[in-house]
Amino acid sequence: MGITTSQPVEESAVTGIDAVPKAAQLPVQLNQLLNELWRESGAAAYGLKQEEFIRILLRVGAAQNYGLAAEATVSQRQQAGFLRGLRLADLVLAKACAGGHEGAWEHFIAVYRQPLFRAATAITGSETLGRELADQLYAELYGLKAREGVRRSPLDSYRGKGSLMGWLRTTLAQRHVDHHRRTRRELPLDNLAEGHEPPAANSKPGKLPAELLLLAKAVLEALEKIETVERFLLAAYYIDGRTLLEIAPVLHVHEATVSRKLHRLVDGIRKQIVKNLLEYGLNKQAVQEMLGADPRDLDLNLKKILQVSLTDAFEEKAAL
Amino acid sequence: MNSNPQLDLHPDADSLNAFAEQAVGKAEREQILAHMTRCSRCRQVIYLAQKAAEAETPATQPALPSRGWRWGWRFAWVPAAALAAALALVVTLHLRHNAPALEMAKVVQQSQQAASAPVPLEQASAGAALKPASPVATNSAAGNAKFTTLRRLPEELALETASSAALPAAPGSGAYSLGENNAAPTTSVQSEQIQTQRQSPAQFNPEPAVDAWQQRQRMTGALSASANTTQVSQETMNTAMDRAPAGQSVPAFAAVSHTAKQAAPTASFTIRTQETVAGLAASHNADPHVLPSGLAAISTVTEQQRILAIDLAGALFLSEDAGKHWELVAQQWTGRAVKVRVQAGAGGAVFQLTNISGFSWTSVDGRTWTVQ
Repeated sequence: MGITTSQPVEESAVTGIDAVPKAAQLPVQLNQLLNELWRESGAAAYGLKQEEFIRILLRVGAAQNYGLAAEATVSQRQQAGFLRGLRLADLVLAKACAGGHEGAWEHFIAVYRQPLFRAATAITGSETLGRELADQLYAELYGLKAREGVRRSPLDSYRGKGSLMGWLRTTLAQRHVDHHRRTRRELPLDNLAEGHEPPAANSKPGKLPAELLLLAKAVLEALEKIETVERFLLAAYYIDGRTLLEIAPVLHVHEATVSRKLHRLVDGIRKQIVKNLLEYGLNKQAVQEMLGADPRDLDLNLKKILQVSLTDAFEEKAAL
Repeated sequence: MNSNPQLDLHPDADSLNAFAEQAVGKAEREQILAHMTRCSRCRQVIYLAQKAAEAETPATQPALPSRGWRWGWRFAWVPAAALAAALALVVTLHLRHNAPALEMAKVVQQSQQAASAPVPLEQASAGAALKPASPVATNSAAGNAKFTTLRRLPEELALETASSAALPAAPGSGAYSLGENNAAPTTSVQSEQIQTQRQSPAQFNPEPAVDAWQQRQRMTGALSASANTTQVSQETMNTAMDRAPAGQSVPAFAAVSHTAKQAAPTASFTIRTQETVAGLAASHNADPHVLPSGLAAISTVTEQQRILAIDLAGALFLSEDAGKHWELVAQQWTGRAVKVRVQAGAGGAVFQLTNISGFSWTSVDGRTWTVQ
């Protein structure tokens, strides 16, 4: 095909984890389980040796602390549960492809080429753009990009938590979004269409009346109290403009449930705002009048407020 | 320009995909969701990946064969069937509920004929408990008690009979032996009952409609006061019988006091006591005779050697030799026979048979019956 696949890379160099124990140092039960998983995975068909397979699994487990919190101590049972939950066939295929195994690539192309092309078309909304996006990813998967003189394949970052096809779709979506954001930034300011986000955050309105400042404070405090899922719901519905049908699968609930949650959420926020205003010393009539104020008069950037999470930032950096 | 500080820190494709496929733990899910809340880029990635997955699904799934419009309604049959069953049950119960109401109207009419003034049953029962000497109240209470007698098992019938009669029974001798002792004509208890009957001029008239009404009351837990009184008294009597040593009769004063306390049975056995007054050794209560049908007798009457008995199925049997041999009397009445009794007539004893609707037939020999 005229493309040289990437060479097997040093595992410790990929993950940065050097302290992977050897098979002989493992507890007997874990060693037995790993041997059993090796037989089940069919790794031998791609020339993956048992020791190599075990090292891959241990590295994947250690990188995620076997699905537990970073500081948690992992028992053997938890280790076994995590390892059994991995998509071993997909993981072996991805690792074999990243290692440049010819048979693995043949299998990969036979199984995933057409679905990958369809997924790219669906993501871009255009067959031409989809083909271009899919081909670009193929080139990356083959390891055409090199870092420090060594070819790297994105398949090496696949860790078998979800399906390989899902991982490919997500990777395609990431590529597309990043490309879109890069090219949008390159647009001249004059060409910004109406739908584009105006730079509202930096606008400095004049001094606001005290009542509006109180209202803004009440809104801020009410929004600070909502939970992560509710915050996501507000962001997805009001900022992204997603439909209930689009939001529902992300939260793994029915769209009717999303609708109910949204109604409840908005009602709850409104009540909380009223409560806050009453606590500030306003009477009910003043509160009702204040709620009738034009939201554009408020110095509030709800997009910014909603997108600042009170929880810890996701610490994992993008793989690529 | 962009003030979002999170753009360079994103979950990798593996984590986002695992999140979309619900393959992450709760903690990691919360972490990813929290990131997505503030990262429009990752939200967009998830939406697009989801869109691609949805586009892929119809292409990979084989087309299902058309099943027709009925297939869409297949789950509607279950609630529809349940609804139909519930409706049928309600209609059935409603019809059953309405049927005795007609009987109630009839009962009131009969009561008006029998007694001077109709009294509501519950009120009458309560009145019977408070004022046993009142004629109307006694009659109504008698109806209540009689109902209890009719709806009980033969053993209970015998025990209740014994409560108003002499109690020479030995403990543990069983209900039938008690029933046999009922034939003993004169005791202090009976004379007490005769006195009570004389105070109550209203003749007891069996009223099956009242029985039906009270049975419903009992089923619904709203047992009338008099029925409760009867039951309690009967239990008291049973206790007294059990305490008595074998072969020893219960003292007469115990039975008298029991009868005095129990208003309803006092009236309910007026027929028998009246027959006693007429010089007839008759009893229409539960009987220990084992009838040819194999069923227990619910009503028995004795006139010298002749015995007439109605079994639980409503069949009438006649014995000319004090119960040694029985013959089935051909049915010449309508409905189910529930009671038989004997009255003193001009030419001798006259048997009277009453069916479940309250209609009566008379016979001189017990074989040929004419409507009354």
